[in-house]
Amino acid sequence: MRYLQGILQIRCCPDHIREIAVIEFKINDKEVKAREGWTILETAKEYGIDIPTLCHHPAVAPTGSCRLCMVELREGDWSKLVASCIYPVKKGITIYTETPKVHNVRRWILEMLLASCPASEEIRELAQKHGVISTRFSVHDPNQKCLICGLCQRVCEEVVGLSAIAVLDRGVHKKVGAPFLRPTDICVGCGSCVTICPTDAMQEIFDTVRGKPELPLSQLA
Amino acid sequence: MHLNAKTGVFICKCGDCIEPLIDLNGLKNSIKDHADYCDILTQPCLTPGMEQIISAISQHNLNRIIVAGCDGRIMLKKFEKALEPLDILKGQVDMVNLRSHVAAVSDASPEQKAKKSEKLIKAAMADMKALVPTELERAKLDGPVAIVGNGIGAFPAAQKLITAGVECVLSLETCDPKKIISSLKRSYPGERQHYDRVKQMVEDVLGNEKLTIMADSRLKKLIGVTGDYTMVIEDSQGNENFIKASMIIAALDAKLYPPGPEFGHDGQTVLIQPEMEAQIDQMGIPKGDVVFWISDYEYGTPDFAGLSTKSAWSMAKHIKEASASTQIIIFYNQMMTLPLSATERGLSRKLGISWVPYDKAVRPTVQDGYITFCHLKDHVEHEISWDFLVLSPRRAIRGQEQITARRLGFIHKETPFLTGHHAKVRPEMIGREETYIVGSARYPCDLQETLNQGRKAGNKNAEMVEKSNKLQLFIPRNVCVVDPTKCVGCGQCQELCDCGGIGVSEYPGGGLPRMVDPMVCTGGGTCAAACPYNALVLQNNSTDQREARVATLSKLLEPGEVVSLACVWGGLPAADHAYSKKLTYDPAIHILGVPCVGQIDPSVMARAFLDGAPGLILIGCDPEECHHSFGIDHAWNRVNLIKKLFSLCGFDRRRIALAHADLNKPEEFVKTANAFTALIKALGPIEKTQANQDKLKSIYHLCKDNNRIRTLLSAALRRPGEKTYRGDQKHALAFDKDFNQALEEEYDYPESALFEEDTSGKGVLYV
Repeated sequence: MRYLQGILQIRCCPDHIREIAVIEFKINDKEVKAREGWTILETAKEYGIDIPTLCHHPAVAPTGSCRLCMVELREGDWSKLVASCIYPVKKGITIYTETPKVHNVRRWILEMLLASCPASEEIRELAQKHGVISTRFSVHDPNQKCLICGLCQRVCEEVVGLSAIAVLDRGVHKKVGAPFLRPTDICVGCGSCVTICPTDAMQEIFDTVRGKPELPLSQLA
Repeated sequence: MHLNAKTGVFICKCGDCIEPLIDLNGLKNSIKDHADYCDILTQPCLTPGMEQIISAISQHNLNRIIVAGCDGRIMLKKFEKALEPLDILKGQVDMVNLRSHVAAVSDASPEQKAKKSEKLIKAAMADMKALVPTELERAKLDGPVAIVGNGIGAFPAAQKLITAGVECVLSLETCDPKKIISSLKRSYPGERQHYDRVKQMVEDVLGNEKLTIMADSRLKKLIGVTGDYTMVIEDSQGNENFIKASMIIAALDAKLYPPGPEFGHDGQTVLIQPEMEAQIDQMGIPKGDVVFWISDYEYGTPDFAGLSTKSAWSMAKHIKEASASTQIIIFYNQMMTLPLSATERGLSRKLGISWVPYDKAVRPTVQDGYITFCHLKDHVEHEISWDFLVLSPRRAIRGQEQITARRLGFIHKETPFLTGHHAKVRPEMIGREETYIVGSARYPCDLQETLNQGRKAGNKNAEMVEKSNKLQLFIPRNVCVVDPTKCVGCGQCQELCDCGGIGVSEYPGGGLPRMVDPMVCTGGGTCAAACPYNALVLQNNSTDQREARVATLSKLLEPGEVVSLACVWGGLPAADHAYSKKLTYDPAIHILGVPCVGQIDPSVMARAFLDGAPGLILIGCDPEECHHSFGIDHAWNRVNLIKKLFSLCGFDRRRIALAHADLNKPEEFVKTANAFTALIKALGPIEKTQANQDKLKSIYHLCKDNNRIRTLLSAALRRPGEKTYRGDQKHALAFDKDFNQALEEEYDYPESALFEEDTSGKGVLYV
């Protein structure tokens, strides 16, 4: 404990941003201060800068799978697009969250999402907010709500400590469900996956995941 | 450890999910003076916010943390993990869900919502203040791991333990590999491909010098808890040996036994699978036609048909391969799906084994040399001739296995198998269920599964021993403990608990204080709330804490507002999901989360009313879906107690209610919430007269301290389907009348209530 306090005294200065290890960079030309270990997204949120996200949730480690949080990073003469939820902060970089380049990639992603999960109201609202109202891609399943962000699988594994949900198959057949798509006794029915789902796709999938108890309680009594 | 609670409250802005909807500055001002520290953070759950929390904790020496933000069900663990290095342990961090339960569920003004948030946060603060945190305690595992029972799972478990270098004691009835294999054939018939392999393993294990083997012995008694067991083992001469063990693995296999007389079982020509296996062993391949009848559906246990089919198929294959001229028919119920792979089907066709389904509507009948059945094609009764009719075995735990299981304390109720407890909870809550019982006595399975269970148990126990040696094995924080000075040894808790965590500290007998095995307890807490003498306490989540929380909230409520206790498996997630579905409901309902409604002591319910709540609703899981030990049924019983007492005092019985919610049906939850708040608003508050207060006080004391009523409450739990009643209680009504009678006898009428007409307040007052 004393050892830790020592560390903390160094790490946590009164205004919570320590002078020595501060990483200074710019978001949208605004000077921001971050610390080692923060991501661009976390810094932006701390400063109240809005970056849209879908697959990011504080309860689980970020994976950068939905690519919606892409931002433009400029360093010297270089410019590139990075996923802000997994990109660590670096001194001297400049981040732009609302450039044509960023808008372009966001709109593409949203258009693709509109085609892959057209039934989701959340996705539709988000797309509309960014000016995307229709999609050029073909819709395979008009009732699909799931965008396969994998949050449900991650929360089950990282928070609950089980593996009752899996991301099954690959490529265009990729989907989320119980292993082998059969209700499983591994699932304890805590509903974390339903809570964390950014669209309400999990609500329907959940009933295909949770199994019935091996022995109904009435038999045990 | 922490003599003075220092509470820090961190309010989350949560992007635009909370801040514009709730007046956070107003909220902070109202909390500030009551907490040791209060701050509004942009995102406490992300690294920047977490660092702010950590710095505030070290600056202000905070030891109780409340984060008012979103769903504790998924976020709390992150905070617990991050704050653990600061000595803020599990139980000292709590979350209040402002986002899902306050911000978005109604169109009240930000100021009104701030008021509601304030009440919920203050209630959480009171809870934290009442918390008596325990020290982080190491679990010590001294001594060998003992393996008892005669199941085959003992050998892979022993093998794994020896490989891991863990000391291991094996108690066996026989040490002859031949006998072991022949008894294996009786428990797992038809698993021919494994027998030689298993025999090799048995010989290896028995020949291992590092293993202590107690031959010709059986377990007589077991006392103690994980880490400190004493086994009394009796050898064939009747001598008792005392053996110390740190952990126990029970290897038990279910018995396979013949069905009733209607199947014509004679053990010679009509026989069950293990008997057929023995016959093949002794007399070679049977001469004549063999019919395997998968008769599990007729026994009423269709779940085991798959297992029986596999055995039958394996035996049929063996017979057919040895003697091609033998006619073999496998005869099965049309309801069943055959558990065969494509290759197996091909092989079956090649060998000429025929599979005949029969109409489920007509039960096949056994005749001498024939079996009659209704054919699916023409619904005409056909006959199959047989020389040997092989039936599926019936399966249950019986005989010596049952005795051993009882001595180990696994059997509390008469169940056919030892499925262990049926608790469906998060893995960190289950102490070590998987680690202590292996074999088909747990639930029927094939040999492969049993061997796997054995290996798994061996590995897990070895892991635990290793952890303990490295001083990294800790006792879970949310477990029950018994206060031996209060415990009278009535054994009520032991009967309620089906995680098997409660036992006696000495030889079983009457009146001895119980003790809890913390490594087995799941922390359900139903037993703690049911203890007639308040001797059981759920550590770090005690009844006192819940009482403080409910009392504080009840005091702060305005007219028309109600308290709701919702369980994290049903009501609470349903409320959370109502938010995700953008549903709205009456903001008058104030939701407090509890791990299980079974944890709620009747005194907590009574306390809500004593402190001014006009209504209380408990929202649990669906009946039959309780994730702990029948918590919802106990809650039902306790709610009814309060209802009965309300009748006795002239209050409206509807003020307390039990509701069931499925987490995936938030719409139903909204209906529940709206209906109950509407009802309470219509009923109005309980008038605050001295007489009423005194009555509520009497109810509260009866619920909290009256041993007779508390005993009745925990002993008399009836599940709706139960049909037997004790003593002269013939049926549900008689039982209820007796309960009412007892309440009338025990209820202490306050004097002021007897002089109710005297409204001036100057009459005789109850002190």
